[in-house]
Amino acid sequence: MNIEKRGFINSQNTKPSGMKKPSLNLTVIQRFKLVFAVFILSLLAFSALPVSAFSQDDSDEMIDDRSHQEDVKRGERFFKGLLPKDRRFESCVSCHVLTPSGEQINWNPSAIDIAKKFADKDFSDFQAAVMQPNGKKMEASHKNFTIEDTDLKTVKAYLDDLAINGTPKIGPTVNQIVLFLVLGLLITLALLDLIFFKKIKYRFISVFVLLLGLLFQVKMVSEAAIKLGRSQNYAPDQPIKFSHKVHAGDNRIDCKYCHTTAEYGKSAGIPAMELCMNCHVLVREGARSGKFEIAKVVEANENKTPVEWVRVHNLPDHVFFSHAQHVGIGKVDCKQCHGPVQEMDILKQNADLSMGWCINCHRQTKVNFKDNAYYDNYMKLHDQIKSGKLDTVRAVNIGANDCMRCHY
Amino acid sequence: MKTYWRSIDELANPQELRRQEVREESKQKSMLLKGDKELNSASRRDFLKTFGFSLAAASIVASCKRPVEKAIPYLVKPDEITPGMANYYASSYFDGNEYASIIVKVRDGRPIKIEGNTLSSISQGGTSARIQASVLNLYDDARFKGPLKNGEEITWEKADGEVAATLSKVKGSKVVLLSSTIISPSTQKIIQKFAEKQGNVEWIQYDPVSASGILQATKKSFGSAFIPDYRFGKAKVVVSFGADFLGSWLSTVEYTKAYTAARSLQDGRKEMLRHYQFEAGMTLSGSNADVRFPIKPSEEGAIVLALYNEIAKAKGATVFSGAKSSVDISELAKELLEHPKQSLVISGSNDENIQLLINGINELLGNYGETIGLDRPLLTKQGVDADADRLLADLKAGNVKALLVWNANPVFDHPKGKEFAESIKKVGLTVSFAERKDEISAVCQYILPETNYLETWNDLEPKAGVFSLAQPTIAPIFNARPVQETLLKWAGEPQKHRDFIQNFWKENQFAAQKEVADFRRFWDKSLQRGVYETALESKSAYSSDGLSQAASQIKGAASGIEVVLYESIAIGNGKYANNPWLQELPDPVAKISWDNFAAVPVAYAEENGLKNEDVISVNGLELPVFIQPGQAKDTISVALGYGREVSGKVGDKTGKNMYPFVITENGSRQYFLTGVKVEKVQGKIFELAISQTHYSMEGRPIARETTLADYIKNPVSGNEKEAEDLAKAVTLYKEPEYNGHHWGMAVDLNSCTGCGNCAIACQAENNIQVIGKEQVRNRRIMHWIRIDRYYSENPENPKVSFQPVMCQHCGNAPCENVCPVAATPHSEEGLNQMAYNRCVGTKYCINNCPYRVRRFNWFQYVKNDKFDFNSNSDLGRMVLNPDVTVRSRGVVEKCSMCVQRIQEKKLKAKLEGRPVVEGEIKTACAQSCPGNAIVFGDLLNPESRISKLLKDERNYHLLEELHTLPSVSYLTKVRNEKA
Repeated sequence: MNIEKRGFINSQNTKPSGMKKPSLNLTVIQRFKLVFAVFILSLLAFSALPVSAFSQDDSDEMIDDRSHQEDVKRGERFFKGLLPKDRRFESCVSCHVLTPSGEQINWNPSAIDIAKKFADKDFSDFQAAVMQPNGKKMEASHKNFTIEDTDLKTVKAYLDDLAINGTPKIGPTVNQIVLFLVLGLLITLALLDLIFFKKIKYRFISVFVLLLGLLFQVKMVSEAAIKLGRSQNYAPDQPIKFSHKVHAGDNRIDCKYCHTTAEYGKSAGIPAMELCMNCHVLVREGARSGKFEIAKVVEANENKTPVEWVRVHNLPDHVFFSHAQHVGIGKVDCKQCHGPVQEMDILKQNADLSMGWCINCHRQTKVNFKDNAYYDNYMKLHDQIKSGKLDTVRAVNIGANDCMRCHY
Repeated sequence: MKTYWRSIDELANPQELRRQEVREESKQKSMLLKGDKELNSASRRDFLKTFGFSLAAASIVASCKRPVEKAIPYLVKPDEITPGMANYYASSYFDGNEYASIIVKVRDGRPIKIEGNTLSSISQGGTSARIQASVLNLYDDARFKGPLKNGEEITWEKADGEVAATLSKVKGSKVVLLSSTIISPSTQKIIQKFAEKQGNVEWIQYDPVSASGILQATKKSFGSAFIPDYRFGKAKVVVSFGADFLGSWLSTVEYTKAYTAARSLQDGRKEMLRHYQFEAGMTLSGSNADVRFPIKPSEEGAIVLALYNEIAKAKGATVFSGAKSSVDISELAKELLEHPKQSLVISGSNDENIQLLINGINELLGNYGETIGLDRPLLTKQGVDADADRLLADLKAGNVKALLVWNANPVFDHPKGKEFAESIKKVGLTVSFAERKDEISAVCQYILPETNYLETWNDLEPKAGVFSLAQPTIAPIFNARPVQETLLKWAGEPQKHRDFIQNFWKENQFAAQKEVADFRRFWDKSLQRGVYETALESKSAYSSDGLSQAASQIKGAASGIEVVLYESIAIGNGKYANNPWLQELPDPVAKISWDNFAAVPVAYAEENGLKNEDVISVNGLELPVFIQPGQAKDTISVALGYGREVSGKVGDKTGKNMYPFVITENGSRQYFLTGVKVEKVQGKIFELAISQTHYSMEGRPIARETTLADYIKNPVSGNEKEAEDLAKAVTLYKEPEYNGHHWGMAVDLNSCTGCGNCAIACQAENNIQVIGKEQVRNRRIMHWIRIDRYYSENPENPKVSFQPVMCQHCGNAPCENVCPVAATPHSEEGLNQMAYNRCVGTKYCINNCPYRVRRFNWFQYVKNDKFDFNSNSDLGRMVLNPDVTVRSRGVVEKCSMCVQRIQEKKLKAKLEGRPVVEGEIKTACAQSCPGNAIVFGDLLNPESRISKLLKDERNYHLLEELHTLPSVSYLTKVRNEKA
């Protein structure tokens, strides 16, 4: 019907019926290919941007000592297991990773940690540490080492370089944005087809693609918006590979042994460095971590420089939260908010710490109404309990969900 | 019912005033629109800038990752510190003028709030606005960051070496140490040591506003120069001649405590002190007086003489002839004679002769030893005016080889400041120990900054035998050093100041007592309590020497207009002019901030066609006009302390310096000037930040009052409307129910003197931002508690009422119903809550609040160069209370009844498993109120003080007829007028 009509219009014009605008010459597939190519090109251009910026930085730097630079390069190759060709032992990097991350804890000291530790020490110290290991764990893993001094020197040069320049940076991941853009593209194409091209036989396909794309985009945006300022499952790398699993799980140290102020303070408290030494004055080597990590605690105490932990649980500034109220008075178990800490090698944020999460808990939590004389004031509620009108008092009944309990 | 009026404009024509207010509002709105228009015609560049900004913002938000926050533990955790919990240390405040024993709240190593120390017999837990604001002085950008020589940085070692070398060179010739009054016994000892080592050292104590007259008079009457111990609490009749003892005269906190206690009608008391005030300008004391006589300052002498004669006649003592009094004082004399040993006559005059007559009157009335103690003289002002004049002469003559200046600033606050500046430049060695920028350190060679009082040890003796200790509450922020250590070093005995004080106390205070055997315990106890008192016996005996000579020297009233100079409540003598909290605190009576002004009488303004904000020239100095009801005929009052040249970004060039108007007469500086030439400057307007017309109550009876006679007859008098309103109370809404607590507050208008301490206490506690003069003019002042001032009756000498108004925490809150986003709901404990993060800034609540207590953040006041006050620097922001959110632009805020304090104390009670104790929770305004006018408590607790006050017949709620069911109530003011 449509085609007939179009033909009719065309025939009204005196021009030849085959005459069309050049762009319309492309088939659907061709058109897709073109758009896709443009898209890929732009992506490439984007990803190339930071690279070119980096290389420019390098070229700006004056390099005087060429041989040193070569040493660093050789050291890097050795460290990564590419040298020597007939290597029989494992590469350094297989244990001492360059970018420490991931769910699983890597007990071995990371490359950067080692680099920093030996940055201002002599080669002989470094050599001794590598070749004559003094811990059980290190002895086991280093025992087959046969490394030439010259090679080890280049490794030291590489590590020194690493200590100054840091580990290679990883560009930002753009997966989400790419997905979002692709969806946008699909939506645009579907729209174009619906209004102009009308090439797809069944309109419902375009409509379907359009709606689905839109829906997915809305979902992505709303999820991202809700996540703003929230960080559930946040598990940053810490300056020391401190494992709650080892301490709270395997060795069953009570939470409050270290987090001393949880019952009466606003914050649970990060243990002072001296508190670590209560045990670590004797415990100097871990079964899996060896001596390296524990040595950091000892050094921090000796050098009087506290360890700068990365804070995991961050409430916004406009929220008042007191551990005393929840742990000391409410007797809430630590696990209820912090999750199975005794199983975590790398501590992660268990709850999302959203307001809805707080409020829900307040609605459900029963108040220890009878045993705390503070609540003697609540005469009306006591009467209601006596007369059986009320079976239990929940936190919400005594105003736990008032705005100004947490926001002021 | 009395008709109250807020200003002369309203008295004349209330409708016109309202119209004016509406005009002003629409002007502001149109200015806002104009701003928009300018934006529309913005250039392409602006568009690109905006576009670029939004692009950048969008990309930042898109890649938004929360910053990595560090948690750094202690190496060794101090036992007394729990992160996030405050510690409190007893200390002492003395700035050379005002003394108070204080408790300093320290949060995570930063002092953030000052409270009064209830153990002190002097300040008794009260503070003044300036003491409250003193914590901000610690975080002042104008403080010196380290020692300087001629503006260049220098090390302490080098400075010490150079100064010591010069000092030893001039050994034998005159060296002058110019300081404010120093009441530290150990410091006096240090100065003595320094003087002994140096030889010829003259130590001059200098007070910008001195008590020279009193000191000289007591020297003649009692043989030694001292300020007696005035006991207002024991008096039934108080007569004050120009002494603003509630506002600025000597020990105001102590006097306010005693005065309000003697006037309180709580707990069934039926007696009140009666207060007569003779004065020119409307001071805080005058506005609280039962009977006020507006007089010219030059008339004072004759009136005092007449009063003396009248009393002497009755007592059979010698009568002196002299100038004729302009006021009939026979009734007053009769009343004084009816209250022998229970009256108190004081004068703020610096004229020795007047003070001698005052001493004579008090002696005749038998007040010495009763209402005026002689055993514990007040030591806070020891400057004798003649000394400073002698110093100036010495400086000019070149007799002074080295000048050390400590906490004194005569270049600014001496009438001959310019001459001081010139002559100081000629001195061989000049050293300033100034803590912050001031005029005198600008002309000194060396600046060796001293530490702030919150960073140092100190001991004080504000009254003989009453000692108090100060301890550091923070490590010195800058490279400063206590002057005591500097002087000890130069005296050749370098040691820590703390060790010196400790040893000094061991040898003196500890040795003189027998109760505690161990010094360590004695020291710890004194330090913990902050105060230590010893018993003393009076040795002084009165003699009438010099009385007849004084009487003969009393002059009659001068003709023409007189300028009266006074210390304002906020700025005082001008030392802390760089404190933005104080600059923005409205004058309690005039309700003007950020400037001083010429207060002119109503009749004078009418005669000369003056309006508010017109400009007059007073002896050539141009001053803005403010028409002040109650200003005495032919007088103009202007505040001292303004017009600083070198004080910092806030204080510089605010107002005019009036110190050059001070004259020296009879050996003392007189704070008034006769025969002044006044002219209107035609066509000139100076805008004043007047907050008087901000909050209209539209003539409804809100500040209720009665007289003592009526009150005794019928306790409900003045408050009859309460019963009327309650009878009509009906509501459609369900009345709220409270289970555990219902927090409430009562304000006894009979105890409120209007001093403004609560406003600053609230500002410090609740992170209230300073907004600057222009925004105050735009009626946007952020104070959560304001003190309304109403006038009634005769505008030439009106009756004044003060009424602090904060959020009333209504049970039927009109604001709660209109919020479209439920940002201001009601709590289970009766608080009207404000959730800032929920607020979208519709301001409906502000419009619907009948009490006008909600404040809107029109701008971002923090980290904004347009509002360059304390919150615009990292240093200034250190004063913020971490328990209270700093509000950002576009949200409404208001009094929260210090909910952070309620929560803190409730938590403590829960942890200890006990109910909240009555009196345990105190709001910031209530805690340090020197008049004990504000009571906070639990209305559900029948035993609480507030529940009892609520049953008082004087109790009423603001605008009860609206049935808003406020949790705040007021108690009727009672005036002790003669029937």
